[in-house]
Amino acid sequence: MTASPVYEKEIVAIILYTSCFFMIVAVFLIVFFYFSRKKIIQKEVEKKDLEIQYQREQIHAVIATQEEERRRIAQDLHDDISSKLNIVSLNSHLLTSPNLTEAETKEITDNIIGLTTKALENSRKIAHNLLPPVFEKFGLNAAIEELCEEFESSKSVKIYYKNEIDFDDNEIDRHLHVFRILQELMNNSLRHGKSSEIWITFKKSEGVNICNYEDNGIGFDSKNEANQKGLGMKNIDSRISFLNGTIEINSEINNGIAIVFTF
Amino acid sequence: MDDFLIYSGYIILLFNLFLYLFSFSRKGKVNIFFISYLAFLVLVQFSMEVMFHMGKNNLFFTNVYFIGQMVVLGLFYYSILKSESQKKFVLWSLSLALLVLIIQYIFDHTQFLKFNLLEITITSLLVVIFGLLHFYNMLTDKKEYYYFTIGVVFYLLTSTVLFLVGNLTIGLTEELKLMSWRLNAFFIIIYYLIILLEWKVSFMPKKKININ
Repeated sequence: MTASPVYEKEIVAIILYTSCFFMIVAVFLIVFFYFSRKKIIQKEVEKKDLEIQYQREQIHAVIATQEEERRRIAQDLHDDISSKLNIVSLNSHLLTSPNLTEAETKEITDNIIGLTTKALENSRKIAHNLLPPVFEKFGLNAAIEELCEEFESSKSVKIYYKNEIDFDDNEIDRHLHVFRILQELMNNSLRHGKSSEIWITFKKSEGVNICNYEDNGIGFDSKNEANQKGLGMKNIDSRISFLNGTIEINSEINNGIAIVFTF
Repeated sequence: MDDFLIYSGYIILLFNLFLYLFSFSRKGKVNIFFISYLAFLVLVQFSMEVMFHMGKNNLFFTNVYFIGQMVVLGLFYYSILKSESQKKFVLWSLSLALLVLIIQYIFDHTQFLKFNLLEITITSLLVVIFGLLHFYNMLTDKKEYYYFTIGVVFYLLTSTVLFLVGNLTIGLTEELKLMSWRLNAFFIIIYYLIILLEWKVSFMPKKKININ
């Protein structure tokens, strides 16, 4: 049985075209995979770079805050303690001078006693500012209550604090971050926001601790990137990442701020 | 059975065209070339059906179909590709392919009345390549006509072989002859269903009033 030449030619042509078609498709597929891999790796590198940059910024923020704190402590020590101890030292020298009357000696010792008492009080206040003793003794809840009282007594602000969580004392390291975040937020609300009312609530939902923070201050435009890059905000960000939590900041100008974070 | 496959293909195609036209008129988001492609498919299928019922040879319409598909889909991908070099590549390869095919038809116009192997290979290849280009762009960008591109690549890879052996099937007996075309009709249905899926994913109105 012999096939006609035309038919044979047709079959050969079909085989040729089919194999050509698949060959070219295969080549393009390989090229496609090659470039895809390259593109994906490039994206990955970009992502890593961003991450590194973010971490660098966080470290920068941490160092900057550290320096600022040091400066503040140095200033406190200098203003409130060193100056007073200086006078104490001067007065003590006076005591050694000869021919002092009874009255003069009494005045000088009174002076010294008054100044040392003040210096002591100031040093206690500085230590308290650095880490409130209530926090270590009675935990986060008490510390925040005290913080609220302090804010309310010294500044014209009303704070509504509500807590539904029973904090575990074993997690005090984590709670310190929460405390610092709230401290920073409240400071911001007063200093920048000029708020007169602040609401703080702690809630537990599905095993996650949630903190709601709101104020009625002047707020800021939360869509504007520049507003989220301040040192304080960066600090809060890094604390949140320490806590493996999330944070959401909503604010409009003249509408206060609303912050929700989990920890 | 054959009629069922073929006509359900037609119905899905018409349904697709209607849905996309609806989305196009509502939001104008659908690419104009995409609508043109669907309209073109409807036109080709309808004309082939009419010619068949009039008892005429409608084979040359497959040539129209392949060239038209390449041009319309080429323009479609031209309009959605992002980078200039890709756009240039699409335009140049399209023009080159058309030039090659015109030259071929000038020298041998009998090709127009049967399955033109060179034409089937070139046109399908180009569309598959355009699809791959689009896939490449979609790796990192948001997905756009993702399912449709999957459908095009899938259908063209399978149907091209069926069309390439088309000239051979003419000489076969009735029973075997229809085998490959039945397969093709089946793939067409899948292809049109994928286009339908694309509409559902990308263009179906999101806010739906629940009628219960």
